[in-house]
Amino acid sequence: MTVLLVLLGLLALALVNVPIAVALGIASVAAMAAETGLRDLPNIPLTLFDGAVKFSLIAVPLFILAGSIMNASGISHRLIALTTALIGSVRGGLSMVTIGTSLFFAEISGSAVADVAALGSVLIPSMKRAGYSKEFAAAVTSSASTLAVIIPPSIPMILYAVMAGASVVELFVAGIIPGLLGGLLLMAAAYRVAVKRGFPAEAAFQWSAVRRTFRDAIWALLLPVIILGGIFSGWVTATEGAGLAVLAAAAIGGLVYRELSWPALRDATVEGAIQTAVVMLLVSTSALLGEYLTSMQVPQRFAEQLLAFTESQWAVLALLNLFFLLVGLFLHSAAAIILVVPIVMPLVQQAGIDPIHFGLVVTLNLGIGQQTPPVASVLLTACSIAKASIWSVSRANAVFVGVLLIVLLVVTYLPSVPLSLVELFYR
Amino acid sequence: MDAETPSAPSGRSAFLGRVLEIAVMTITVALAVLVIVGVASRKAGFSLVWYDEVAAILLAWLTYYGAALAALRRAHLGFPNLVSRAPLPARRALVVFREIAIVGFFALTAWLGVGLMDAVGGTFLVSLPWLPAQVVYSAIPVGATLFIVAELTAAIEDWKGNAAP
Repeated sequence: MTVLLVLLGLLALALVNVPIAVALGIASVAAMAAETGLRDLPNIPLTLFDGAVKFSLIAVPLFILAGSIMNASGISHRLIALTTALIGSVRGGLSMVTIGTSLFFAEISGSAVADVAALGSVLIPSMKRAGYSKEFAAAVTSSASTLAVIIPPSIPMILYAVMAGASVVELFVAGIIPGLLGGLLLMAAAYRVAVKRGFPAEAAFQWSAVRRTFRDAIWALLLPVIILGGIFSGWVTATEGAGLAVLAAAAIGGLVYRELSWPALRDATVEGAIQTAVVMLLVSTSALLGEYLTSMQVPQRFAEQLLAFTESQWAVLALLNLFFLLVGLFLHSAAAIILVVPIVMPLVQQAGIDPIHFGLVVTLNLGIGQQTPPVASVLLTACSIAKASIWSVSRANAVFVGVLLIVLLVVTYLPSVPLSLVELFYR
Repeated sequence: MDAETPSAPSGRSAFLGRVLEIAVMTITVALAVLVIVGVASRKAGFSLVWYDEVAAILLAWLTYYGAALAALRRAHLGFPNLVSRAPLPARRALVVFREIAIVGFFALTAWLGVGLMDAVGGTFLVSLPWLPAQVVYSAIPVGATLFIVAELTAAIEDWKGNAAP
């Protein structure tokens, strides 16, 4: 009963616009006081501090910082030019370029919102000028950016790894095949729409254009090699790889491309720090809630009750998929991972589901949630750039969301798709 | 759920914003440099034993000082729609309730944080025995106090502008 009151209190506070991180803290403190009186209150600051002291999560501000530096370094323009030279000549070429560049940019930035902001500001106006509808332009950019959450490096995956006690590196590797599969399927869907609606192709394919744009983008292309190569080979940890990403991005932006200005770097650092603090305050205050829920054995009871209903791994995965899709409609992915993953992990373990496999299911699910109103941070960013209504873009986006749901089904029910590379290299 | 539209601090909040920006920039750069130096030293064969513990502490500092800056910029994740669509009298009542809830939580945290500082007095960090634990944990009471100041500064500006905070 107290647990239900806590969750209702949390919801009520959030609805009157108390920041969700603070609402978590207030609801948890009230619950602790109701259960044990004032006895445990002196532990609150220590729990909050320990909640924020997580070495693995240092990768979050560092990847955000690296992504911000790259945005300010002219890297996105170079990647777009190269992808246009490679695949722009196909019917609906600019939408292919959007998807292809998103896949590549995702290997650097780790954030879907960063992806859509960096690429959408260039590609959405270009698509509109070329005769694409603004709704289609926003939809394809938004859905392609969602793939950033399953292509390494990925900030939601880092959060999941910490909350679930899973390996960040294995999660990163597990995202490669589903990410590429999703990219190819999105391109196929975009091509079909382009043919049907008569969207144009870009200039004819020329090797000279490929060579020229490749030379210009070569340093940008080296970034994922440095970041992911170091992490996957075991030369550095994910956190240390994020540190190297900052160093490489600053060196390439400042010394090679010479487009990185001090004001841009300062603004990027401050914005990155704010984004980090917003997520980390959630992590910190969720430690209070986690302590309370664990003391009440809520995750264990949840697992027991659901497994009493069905022990089938397939059915459990279907229920968890539906649950996370629903959660993704209303919660930002970071908040959803921090709040929900610790509660469902005992169920996942008892049902015999591989935590790496489940990590892919969760991150992809919540990525799809960023495409569906009312809460859709990625879609909203794309709509804002395209100056299009969220509902009309949502209609145009239905085909791409359908593709993402197909990828989700494949990832959920064919575990070998995400896990084959993990088993090949790490098990 | 969404972040409220962040806006640049102006007027009296500009000074607080500037101080917090300098603090979070310093911590972020220190964190990045520390991780890079940590990797380089390990690869060079002399690991810094204190590097991961200090880096994790810097992350906690970034959390609390950055959270205050996020409060000033109205960048925390929340659900602003219900309050902003309410009629003005109801909106004002909800805003007052919201501010009491936020300030109350961080006032309690700051007060208990001072108690924690007293409790750890005379102890030092394990990996850096010259660094007092009070300095390490100071981020909680100081960060909570800064959060209150930032929140109230932003709320007063919103109220004066008759906007829905």
